[in-house]
Amino acid sequence: MSQGGISTGSSRFFLAAQRSLRSQEGIVLILAAAAFTVFSFLLPSFLSAGNLIALVRSVSILGILALGMALVVIARGIDVSMIATMVVSVAWAFVLARTGYSFNAALLIGCLFALTAGLGIGLLIAYGEVAPIFATLAAGSVIYGLGRTFFFQLEMQNVPPGNEWFAEIGRASFLGLPITIVAFAILCLLLHGVLTRTRFGWQLYAMGSNPAAARTTGAPMRPMIIAQYMISAVVAYLAGLILASSASAINARLFNSTMIYDILLVVVLGGIGLNGGNGRVRNVILGTVFVGILLNGMTILNIDYTVQNLVKGLVLLLAIIADSVVNPRDEQTSQQGDL
Amino acid sequence: MTDIITFRRATKEFRGNPAFKDVDFSLRKGEIHALLGENGAGKSTLTKVIAGLYSLTSGELLIEGEVRTLASPADALKAGIAMVFQETNLVPSMTVAQNIFLGEERFFNRLRGINILAQQHLQRLNFHVEPTTLVSTLGAAKKQMVEIARAVHHSARVFIFDEPTATLTPEEKHHFFELMKRLKAEGASIIFISHALEEALAVADRISILRDGALIVTDDARTFTRQSIIQAMVGRQLTGELYGQARGARTARSPGSAVLSLRNVSMGKAVRSASLTVFAGQIAGIFGLVGAGRTEMMKIAAGILKRDFFDGGSIRLGGKAVRFRVPRDAVKHGVAYITEDRKLDGIFEAMGIAQNIFMGALMKHTNPASIITMREARECSAEWIEMLKVRSISENARVVELSGGNQQKVVIAKSLIQNPSLIIFDEPTRGVDVGAIGEIHQMIAKLADAGAAVVVISSYLPEILSLSDRILVARQGRIVEELTVDEATEERIMYAAVH
Ligand SMILES: Nc1ncnc2c1ncn2[C@@H]1O[C@H](COP(=O)(O)OP(=O)(O)OP(=O)(O)O)[C@@H](O)[C@H]1O
Ligand SMILES: [Mg+2]
Repeated sequence: MSQGGISTGSSRFFLAAQRSLRSQEGIVLILAAAAFTVFSFLLPSFLSAGNLIALVRSVSILGILALGMALVVIARGIDVSMIATMVVSVAWAFVLARTGYSFNAALLIGCLFALTAGLGIGLLIAYGEVAPIFATLAAGSVIYGLGRTFFFQLEMQNVPPGNEWFAEIGRASFLGLPITIVAFAILCLLLHGVLTRTRFGWQLYAMGSNPAAARTTGAPMRPMIIAQYMISAVVAYLAGLILASSASAINARLFNSTMIYDILLVVVLGGIGLNGGNGRVRNVILGTVFVGILLNGMTILNIDYTVQNLVKGLVLLLAIIADSVVNPRDEQTSQQGDL
Repeated sequence: MTDIITFRRATKEFRGNPAFKDVDFSLRKGEIHALLGENGAGKSTLTKVIAGLYSLTSGELLIEGEVRTLASPADALKAGIAMVFQETNLVPSMTVAQNIFLGEERFFNRLRGINILAQQHLQRLNFHVEPTTLVSTLGAAKKQMVEIARAVHHSARVFIFDEPTATLTPEEKHHFFELMKRLKAEGASIIFISHALEEALAVADRISILRDGALIVTDDARTFTRQSIIQAMVGRQLTGELYGQARGARTARSPGSAVLSLRNVSMGKAVRSASLTVFAGQIAGIFGLVGAGRTEMMKIAAGILKRDFFDGGSIRLGGKAVRFRVPRDAVKHGVAYITEDRKLDGIFEAMGIAQNIFMGALMKHTNPASIITMREARECSAEWIEMLKVRSISENARVVELSGGNQQKVVIAKSLIQNPSLIIFDEPTRGVDVGAIGEIHQMIAKLADAGAAVVVISSYLPEILSLSDRILVARQGRIVEELTVDEATEERIMYAAVH
């Protein structure tokens, strides 16, 4: 098939979604450009190639996690257990490797743990009919608690010695780009393909757009829900591995950080509505770039952590307000749970 | 007589495409004014401007001779204008009473007080709805009654009813017309939109007809006949196939094998030991008053409502006992249920027309990883868009931007693309214009001729009478009477449904 056919085909499909989001995307793009310009003027070091690569690298992890989150959010769910799954599955794999398992076997077990966690959450939501926010909030604490109680005691788990290749991944680069960025790019392409090209992807949008209609039309609701949370868990595990390889360790304390909110910030700022049925991969990229610029600039400026959080919150509010001014919802089209 | 609402050369465009253009319209004080036109003619859009939902692109809106722009529905309400929308707009997680008093909660709400007031209000309107039930558990007709009750609860000067009678049964329609007359006697002015032309002729003082966004004619209701209305609506003579006209020498199709049979099926209070059989190659019409459990019986058969383990009865599909727990199982067995409430579980609002229809085909297949392109979606749905004449002002319109009747066509196409062998239509022509009703009826007939088993649930007697080969009458959760085409008369059916 011709290249032109593919791009017009997929762009038509989401034309509807794009149209309604265009304004918010525009706003975020403007904000991102503004932040970029301000930081470039304020900080001479900001614009150096080294810093720019460091910037993208540091947020690629966030971006990868946001891809997993986006998939769930598009189908009108939410997964706030991702960080717990990430730290526990990776940390456990490292512990196992140090206690005698081969490293590969340990990595496989870590992956299986993540899958099981996703399966459990999916079952809870699909069959227990628990609201996703509560199910994943509770599951996150359970997973983290299990991990700290039974699997490992230390917060900091180093990459087991003797696996230089693993640590090498985090430092290596491909065509001059750090592997983290390459991984983010590959996952973006993959998710884009899934969302626009596959039956599963289309059904995700249908579920997010109107779950009752999707159900009546014959969507396999429960298997789909389970699949979503298993995918987001595996994505979290992958992100954890990449994070560990570039930092040579995984820090379980991330569970108590604001990381999960940063992921949601990326998703929402990028323009993926929390009420589902909207958004594409490019929204995630946009959100990642913007949040990346913001975090990196503030870090170079040495802004206090609490102030950083304040700024993030204000930016989110600003984006939401700007969106509702530019994009007023009328009474007939608005739905319950609209942001 | 003075005008309370006047449009002067009013135009409303959506992204450059006019929904109506250069309309001069007036609503007099104390009249009932029927607004008629085909699907997509611009009726809802015109009235939504009066209700403060949209503002005009050009032209003027005058209220009592003053040029006004209403910025929001709240503004309109302050100006004494209340509207019941075509699509229901209730808060599902609240009770009927809470919905009626929505927007005027006091700082401290006393639930008991609200319930009593709502009870009195509903009783005055002769609507049998329990004020303490949750709106999400109500069927389409009861929701409509709550909407009406909510609107007339405001002491407005202008009421706009957009297809209020589409889901109501004759009994409630009667109460509703009484209500309109009472409001009129109290001095209110009313705009009434309907696709049932007899209703307009019977209750309206004046009639206006829109066609493709232009106001064709406004005149005294007495000067119109059904024929002249249709001619003004479609711009040509429509003859033949319209129901209510060509009835008479119709022979019922002979039954094929039994496709669906329910034996003593029960579920809660809604369905009590219902038994019925549907045959291939025939259309079974189910009539009943609101609350008779017709929708529930069929939703159980289609796996949409799950019966508790304890609820008894058996269902056989094609001779085999089945108990569908999710709609997907039923869809795989060739059952399609076409909903009565398209906004609730019919359409994917944010998606386009082609995607909506294609979703039907998509859901039926099994491999989640199969590759799909937009071109495939457009090709698959094109023939249905063509066949059902789905009309929109632009090809890429989202379904939420379609007129009500066109949304209904999309919902029908989405199910038929699944090529089902048992098709359940729940109020198939709700909100569909006269021309399109004829087309949809022809299509339903064609399905039965081709050997499919068809069930039509309808609260509109002429529809039941002109379509069905067998007529089943439901009351209080069970089927109480079965009539052949020859036996069935309006009186007999109504008698069975009420007594
Ligand atoms: N929000 C919107 N955005 C874009 N187009 C719209 C919107 N609302 C309505 N339209 C278009 O305007 C035209 C008039 O629609 P309207 O809903 O007023 O028709 P109607 O006369 O009420 O039809 P029906 O009898 O089917 O309810 C239609 O072609 C419709 O697609
Ligand atoms: Mg309408």
